[in-house]
Amino acid sequence: MKQSLFQSSMRRAPYVFVLPFIISVLVFYLYPIIATIVMSFQDVVPGETRFIGTANYQKMFSEDFSKALGNSFKYTAFTILILIPVPVILAVMLNTHRRRTNAAYRAVLFLPSLVSVVVAGTIFRLMFAYSPRAVINAVIVALGGRATDWVLGGAAQAMFLMVMIAVWRWTGVNIVYFLSGLQSIPSELYEAADMDGARPLRRLFSITLPLLKPTIIFVTTISIFGGFAMFEESFIFWQGQSPNNVGLTMVGLIYKKGFQTGSMGLASAIGIVLMVVIFIVSVIALRSFGFFKRES
Amino acid sequence: MALLTKRLRAPEAAKYVLLAMLAILFLFPIYSLILASFRPGRDLMRYGITFASLAPDFFSGNNYAALLTGHSGAYPVWYRNSLLLAFFQTVFTLGFSSFVGYGLGVYQFRARNALTLLVLFIMIVPLQILILPLYKLMTTLHTMNTFPGILLPFIVSPFAIFFFRQYAVGIPKDFLDAGRIDGLNEYAIFLRISAPLMTPAFGAMAILVAQQSWNNFLWPLIVVRTGNMFTLTIGLNSLLTPYGNNYDMLIAGSCVASVPIIIVFFFFQKYFISGLSAGGIKG
Amino acid sequence: MRRFLVLILLITSVAGFNAFATDLTLWTFQELHANFYQSMVPVWNAANPAKQITLKPEVFPYDDLHNKLLVALQSGVGAPDIADIEVSKFANYLKGTIQLAPLNDLLDPIKDKFFQSRLALYEKGGKYYGIDFHVGMEVMYYNNEIMKEAGVDIDKIKTWYDYIKAGQQVVAKTGKPMCTLETTEHWSVYPLFSLAGSDVLDKNNKVILDNPTNVRVLQMLYDMVYKYKIAVATPGGFHHNEQYYGFMNDGGAASIWMPLWYMGRFTDYMPDLKGKMAIRPMPIFDGSVNGIKSSFLSTGMGGTGTAVTLQSKNIPLAKSFLVWVKGSKEGNIAIWQQLGFDPMRWDVWTDPAMREPNKFTRYFQNNDIFGMMVAVKNGLNTTVVSGNYPDVIDILKRNVSYQALVEQSKTPEQALKDAAAQLRK
Repeated sequence: MKQSLFQSSMRRAPYVFVLPFIISVLVFYLYPIIATIVMSFQDVVPGETRFIGTANYQKMFSEDFSKALGNSFKYTAFTILILIPVPVILAVMLNTHRRRTNAAYRAVLFLPSLVSVVVAGTIFRLMFAYSPRAVINAVIVALGGRATDWVLGGAAQAMFLMVMIAVWRWTGVNIVYFLSGLQSIPSELYEAADMDGARPLRRLFSITLPLLKPTIIFVTTISIFGGFAMFEESFIFWQGQSPNNVGLTMVGLIYKKGFQTGSMGLASAIGIVLMVVIFIVSVIALRSFGFFKRES
Repeated sequence: MALLTKRLRAPEAAKYVLLAMLAILFLFPIYSLILASFRPGRDLMRYGITFASLAPDFFSGNNYAALLTGHSGAYPVWYRNSLLLAFFQTVFTLGFSSFVGYGLGVYQFRARNALTLLVLFIMIVPLQILILPLYKLMTTLHTMNTFPGILLPFIVSPFAIFFFRQYAVGIPKDFLDAGRIDGLNEYAIFLRISAPLMTPAFGAMAILVAQQSWNNFLWPLIVVRTGNMFTLTIGLNSLLTPYGNNYDMLIAGSCVASVPIIIVFFFFQKYFISGLSAGGIKG
Repeated sequence: MRRFLVLILLITSVAGFNAFATDLTLWTFQELHANFYQSMVPVWNAANPAKQITLKPEVFPYDDLHNKLLVALQSGVGAPDIADIEVSKFANYLKGTIQLAPLNDLLDPIKDKFFQSRLALYEKGGKYYGIDFHVGMEVMYYNNEIMKEAGVDIDKIKTWYDYIKAGQQVVAKTGKPMCTLETTEHWSVYPLFSLAGSDVLDKNNKVILDNPTNVRVLQMLYDMVYKYKIAVATPGGFHHNEQYYGFMNDGGAASIWMPLWYMGRFTDYMPDLKGKMAIRPMPIFDGSVNGIKSSFLSTGMGGTGTAVTLQSKNIPLAKSFLVWVKGSKEGNIAIWQQLGFDPMRWDVWTDPAMREPNKFTRYFQNNDIFGMMVAVKNGLNTTVVSGNYPDVIDILKRNVSYQALVEQSKTPEQALKDAAAQLRK
């Protein structure tokens, strides 16, 4: 009697445990995604909501849109280009026997990620101020260059700013990811390689990198998602109003259209397009990593 | 072996010199913020952080005093709100996420793999894409500008769920069986036996969730309507407007907002690190 | 008995507690506005003991306020009783079913005492939905210390030709630029469109951003930077910015053209210029520069249309307070004295109270700021702010000046044409 009660309790239990998750996925993920799809085919003004077919999708392609898409692409590309190789190398450098020293460096490099994006953005705005006395410009001037307006000086300067703040904040985090990946590589492999007289560079390419691949794939994937979804950093620098849209990202465009001009339908359409873009880029990236191949 | 360490000496020294330079570069922004916070905010906004502003001069601005009084005492309100939100977010998110993650980790049932994949998938979908309908949802639920409105979307965190799941997988079945033999139902087992075993997981996730709540910006920006509900992030952001001149508050306020986390980090470092590591290894 | 009651009410309202008062929430993006409204509450309460109010203003950053308000009005929940809406965003709130309360019942009896063009800014279908602070007459602010150093008499500058010539003299003698041009906002270029007799939209809401007059005006600004070399890009991008205040305060430029309401920025943020600045009418377009000719002496710029939302539970009371504080004689005089704005009621302009000394008259070299403006008041151009105006201004702010003057990625004509093309889609 007791046995069967337990058994049925045991069989039901997992479903009870996961129920909150199911509910929250339905409410906070599934419903919003479906609502976004629906709204993308509507025109939403106070008092009236009407279906307008694919008009939003047709209206979407403007100079603003291509700027936003271009910026998001460039930002994601630059951040991945810097924030994968460099932290990998740093993680390898910090994966040696000097535990305490390495832990200290790891902590210092991790620190920037603790600070909120508002504070980080404020610091960077102040460091990169236009005045020739501001620290970055002061160094440039001392080296013989001219003081630059980083915030308002042009598209290249704006992209540089956004990428720099990302590098500052996320290097430490990526190092932690890669370190944990490195630490799961059995040390016997390295010992065997040493026995064979392998040089450090050879070790890196033949053992470390291949075995680090799952971690690299993981970090790259979240970097793609994070790159295309970037909004806050750009918002802190320009409050959504960058000149000539040098700082406009896809999510910035959604926010602008949705909350500033109240075109929720159009903004939803842009959101759908963004999801599709992220999906395509991720699949391409994963493909090139051989993620979908059946490995032995 | 000894030959190896001697040979590596020069390159290793060079490596640590490089790391040291990098460390200084990374610390510089935070260091300069702390020092600059003692200077008048207006000068900082006009000329930026200059080398001159780095000279420790603790008396030229009264920014820290202004924090308490400025803007009719807004800053302490923001601080209180952020603290309360971080506390409640941690409690609720940990409660629900551990519940779900445990279920996924401990039991063998048909939907298990599918659900785990769903967790991973959700982990990757950024909130920013969902802001519009989420906003409408909150409006319908009458939770705009309320604490629940800010907390709800984050209550079930896929990251935490996954972390707890990994941890739960490692709980020895014998403990669970012992509990069953003693007559406990599954939920009691969770509370009395398993949860205490997962303390390190709770520690790591508590830190992570609290930090994310403390630094949360986009969602509160959308949900909060009145000044007395501002959190630190959106409050500080509102000081960046050129129509006010509370830059003293902005700089000093940024410091006071960041320093607690940094201190917590130094004491609970391993929890921060282990919190991130779980996601990375299995890939 | 009545006096006794009024006394009690006055005392308790001063003490901050007023059991008989209705709470009214107000959103604004300018702390100065909030302070002004708050200062007028005791005056209202004393004059209207049966209709007392307690005002609860909230100050949000500019964009944030407009976003939140729009979303609140669209979703039907969360809007305040009263809200400041800047003129370049107002048209966003006149779409679909308008969620603002018409003010006609209170405004019609007195409306002939106002500058009609300022009332028309917030009108749709014959109904007035918002009421402004001021006329916003565009004027020129000269740093007379620099001008004198260069040997220029500012009273001799009548046309834009004079201005450019004077600018060259200033640069040659002092090394300082004659003026700064905004590159991330529109206050340098847009007023000149209007002064030249042009606009960005015509009466039928068609985009005329790229018409020949506007192209010539923007070309003139481009030439000021690169050909005559008398102008530089505003540090910080726009004139409401700490970098500009610091620059100008340190004597960075010789002049700036902004509306009259910019006086408050000088008094509050550029204290070192006290006693050095002089206000003069705008130079006029007489055909001597780029062939631009117009009969206008100035134009009304900027504005905040304060409105009552339909979500308010106290619409009649909110409307009464609003129309009183911004539409009555005493409200208008207070607007000048406290905020330094040129009020909308022309019958106030000749009131002796307007000539009393205040912090603005003490700051500027002018003996009679208002007298100067009365002379110009019949030559004001107006602007179209309805329909697509928010989108037009948005693109003008963000792209045009920046592309033409900073990046030089497009010629002035190309920048205007591309912006207009995007708007016409």
